[in-house]
Amino acid sequence: MKFPRLPGRRIMIGLFSGLFLALGLLLLRAYLHSPSRGLPYRDSFAGGTSDEWKALGGTWELVNGLMRNDSDERGAKLLTGSPYWHNYSVEADIKLLGTSGDAGLIIRSSNEEEGVNDYSGYYTGVRTVDNMLVLGRAAHGWQEIMKPYPTPGGIRPFQWYHLKLLAYDCQIAAAVTTRSNAAPTVVAINDPGCAESGRVGLRSYSSGGVWRNVVVHPATHEDLVEMLQGVRAQADSEHRNQAIWDSEFLGSQPHSEEEKANAGFNANTQSIASLSLTSSARPTSATVRGVVILTAPMLFVQDSTGGVYIPQPTAPPLKVGDEVEVAGDVHPGDFSSTMEHATVRVLWARTPMPPLSVTASQASTGKFDAEFVEVQGHLTGKERSPDNTLILDLDEGAQSFRAIMNPGRSDYLFSKLKLDSSLRLRGICVVDSAFTHNLTPFVLLLRSNEDLEVLAGPPWWSTGHVIAIVVASLLLALVINFVYHRIAHWRLEAVLEERQRLAHEMHDTLAQSFAGIGFQLQAIRNRLPENNTGVLQQLDLARDLVRHSHEEARRSIATLRPESLESEDILTALDLCARRMVEGGTVQVVCERAGDQRPIPLRIADTLYRIGQEAVANAVRHAQSTILTIRLKYSQNLACLQIEDNGTGLEETNGLLGFGIRGMRRRAQSISADFHIESKPGQGTRVQITASLPPRITLTTWPKLFWRYLREYWNNARSSKYADSRSYRG
Amino acid sequence: MNMLHHFALRRMRPRLALVGLLCAFAVFATSCDSHRPVRIAVIPQTEGIIFWEALHTGTEEAANPAGVFVYWNAPTREDDVEAQIALVDRVVENNYQGLVLAPDQALSLIMPVRRALAHGIPTVIIGSPLPIPAGGNLSYILNDDEEGGRLAAQRAAVLLKGNGTVALLGINPDIAGVMIRARAFEQFTAQNYPGIHIVERRIGSFNAPHEQQVAEETLRAHPDLDAVVALMSTTTDGALHALDTTPGRHQVKVIGFDNANLSPFDQKSNLDCSIQQDVRAMGQQAVELIQARLRGQSVPATIRLHPRLFTRENMNSPEVRAMLPQDWTLGQWRWSSIQ
Repeated sequence: MKFPRLPGRRIMIGLFSGLFLALGLLLLRAYLHSPSRGLPYRDSFAGGTSDEWKALGGTWELVNGLMRNDSDERGAKLLTGSPYWHNYSVEADIKLLGTSGDAGLIIRSSNEEEGVNDYSGYYTGVRTVDNMLVLGRAAHGWQEIMKPYPTPGGIRPFQWYHLKLLAYDCQIAAAVTTRSNAAPTVVAINDPGCAESGRVGLRSYSSGGVWRNVVVHPATHEDLVEMLQGVRAQADSEHRNQAIWDSEFLGSQPHSEEEKANAGFNANTQSIASLSLTSSARPTSATVRGVVILTAPMLFVQDSTGGVYIPQPTAPPLKVGDEVEVAGDVHPGDFSSTMEHATVRVLWARTPMPPLSVTASQASTGKFDAEFVEVQGHLTGKERSPDNTLILDLDEGAQSFRAIMNPGRSDYLFSKLKLDSSLRLRGICVVDSAFTHNLTPFVLLLRSNEDLEVLAGPPWWSTGHVIAIVVASLLLALVINFVYHRIAHWRLEAVLEERQRLAHEMHDTLAQSFAGIGFQLQAIRNRLPENNTGVLQQLDLARDLVRHSHEEARRSIATLRPESLESEDILTALDLCARRMVEGGTVQVVCERAGDQRPIPLRIADTLYRIGQEAVANAVRHAQSTILTIRLKYSQNLACLQIEDNGTGLEETNGLLGFGIRGMRRRAQSISADFHIESKPGQGTRVQITASLPPRITLTTWPKLFWRYLREYWNNARSSKYADSRSYRG
Repeated sequence: MNMLHHFALRRMRPRLALVGLLCAFAVFATSCDSHRPVRIAVIPQTEGIIFWEALHTGTEEAANPAGVFVYWNAPTREDDVEAQIALVDRVVENNYQGLVLAPDQALSLIMPVRRALAHGIPTVIIGSPLPIPAGGNLSYILNDDEEGGRLAAQRAAVLLKGNGTVALLGINPDIAGVMIRARAFEQFTAQNYPGIHIVERRIGSFNAPHEQQVAEETLRAHPDLDAVVALMSTTTDGALHALDTTPGRHQVKVIGFDNANLSPFDQKSNLDCSIQQDVRAMGQQAVELIQARLRGQSVPATIRLHPRLFTRENMNSPEVRAMLPQDWTLGQWRWSSIQ
């Protein structure tokens, strides 16, 4: 019996491996949860990339190296960073695009959702409505403090402000400066139950905005003190009481939703749909009202009846969602109209209008030309146009269409899109051949990459996946086959090892005992007087029995020993075995080999050897033969072993059932070999075992082998009908 | 030896039978293909009105002498665009050798027609164009809708003696030809007849009751209206019904397009004329174009056929009767009457 070697060492190795693995995981977790991982951070807007930012609402786009949100949506957010950032500051240059909202920065943000204040964190921004620097905390609700901005004229749109927001422990400070007013306006709070960590973000409220130079630094207590000195200086100068508010916010004040009504409405406006019925023969001027649905690369305005394209308008900076009044020359088209030489006035700043959900077939009719729609489709192709815009080719039902995206923020999403994915897209439906090139009925102009949603990836039964599955299945089958054969080989080796052990045991105990008993009986016989005939006869009988038993034991030992198979081929091993059995007798052993010798798998070789041993033993014990012939023939995929003697032969009825023949047949069955005995009384016996050998499979031989297998299978099926009744198939 | 030969033959018998079957199938398939007639699918805008039967007649007239089989099918309504798309896709799947299509919608048919062209099917678009450039396997046989618009303007000028008010009804962006008619009418009127004013423009549809309602609204809004130009057949029907049900408006004349009735002037006193596209000639020429294309001959990319003005005076002339539907004696079956 064998014992595992050095079990303690293995246990130690296992323990240390586990320990190192656990330590590695802990270190990885500590790294991922580090409050300063990825700091300092500086945006790469100028480089045209922003893959790490995630938008929640708004129409965030990179334009000329600036991050821009053109919508007036309340609470549009763009977030990045680690949720474990703790003490740090974020600063950026900010420009407001509207006159009725605010824009700024978020710090320690978590649990973000799309919505006005649907996040947990702190926000600071500059607000045009009341000229305030505002600082507050959002937790799916809003609470704020604010401070007037001292510059004459207050907070104005289209002017750059530098905003800084710092969080150190539970103290939050915000400061704003401009180029003209370098002295910061600072506001700070102390929030004992503060949000302790989170991401940074950009946010706007009821106004579009532009951001640049976003920088995030780890913050120290000295940084906080430095910012608060600005607060104290202001407090001294303004005779304010204190700069840090101990969580005594000014109270919950909702954002202003006051809308600036624009005076001077034109009473003679008409619906956008009616523009298509204006005369094409005479120049016609018209005035319409609608909501801006796209500002770049061109201006589209939509009302409840349709959309209109306005090339090169005279207009103030516009944002998606602005309600505008457009006056210009009408050029009616088939499906929508164009207003040239148009003047655009902003009536109200509103949030972007929702898309109309239509099918590709409906959009293909042109009825939604120049309107903001939502369409689903399957991605069939994607490419970059020469002007670097991103083009998606989509199919839905019998229709195909294209979607055009601006490069920049969409680059990363574009590169990740997989063909055959199911997408939902929101954009301006355009049927103008300048966009469609008459290749598809319509194209969608996407405002930002938030207008593209992947509903489902490509189906798993794609060609590549099917090939991968087939290859993986084949590899798995090969591995299983290999493991199965290895296990079978190990089992056989264990059996052979056990047999060898039994042989040694028998040799050391049984055979030695028989030999000793024989010697003792001989010694007794030698001492007995010759006249004691009866006892002498009994002793002779006992001595013969012991000798016979000794020979049987030797024979059994010979058959149990597998060394011969390991060092010799079957024929040599059987020859050796037969010569041991007939040692001292008159039987002549003849060995013959035919065909090209080739390796035989151990399992088949062992079975052939055992059957051969039994046949040789039968011939030696019972056949009274004078010549014992052992033949081994090799053919293409077969090994045929024949044991033939010229002895007395077998009676057909009884002989074929005894003498270990059942055992031989059973062994032959175990390797699916043909087992055949030919014997007639007085004419000797021939035992034949034909075993299949595994073919040698190479790249060039497998088709031939496969064809041969099929032929043999067919022939075997046919020949089995006419099989000789004397043939005993294993 | 004989036994061996016999045994070998027995073994070979199934294989020989299989080879024989394959050969027979190949010969059968070859012979079938060589005698199979050319199949051309003709898909008008609709089968719901008799107007398009003239197209059927025209295609059969060209197809029968050449032994061409014509597959004729269409949606039951002009606005059933999906049904027409499905028909075109079926034509592609069934490997027809040619396609003649009168599109129901200018944009929606782009992709189905592109699929047909991608399968190498010679395609002829008739009546109203698609926004796909002609060339290769794609040809157009179009109604000259600009001339149709001009004819309507000239007729209105004659009716109103150069002064009056007109309502332009049935403007339908789905059919490019209708838009061309409308613009041509407006521009020719503005350039040549400044005394004629278009006082109403209305979008049209293939729904006749709706068109009648639109016409009634127009008549109520403009009591002094002199004429209605109805750009589609449903609009023409709607306007005539509206005038029938509105007393005291006998002076209002209707200039219609693509009248579907065989005797349109019999009971419709308000109908002044109808401007008809020659769909019968379109059908003939479309089949001939496809046959020429299949023979490898070059074919014109675009053919424009002149529309014809139908009036009470020329309605029974042989030229006009020849344009009307329908000749039911044509067909692929060579039978004769037994009585």
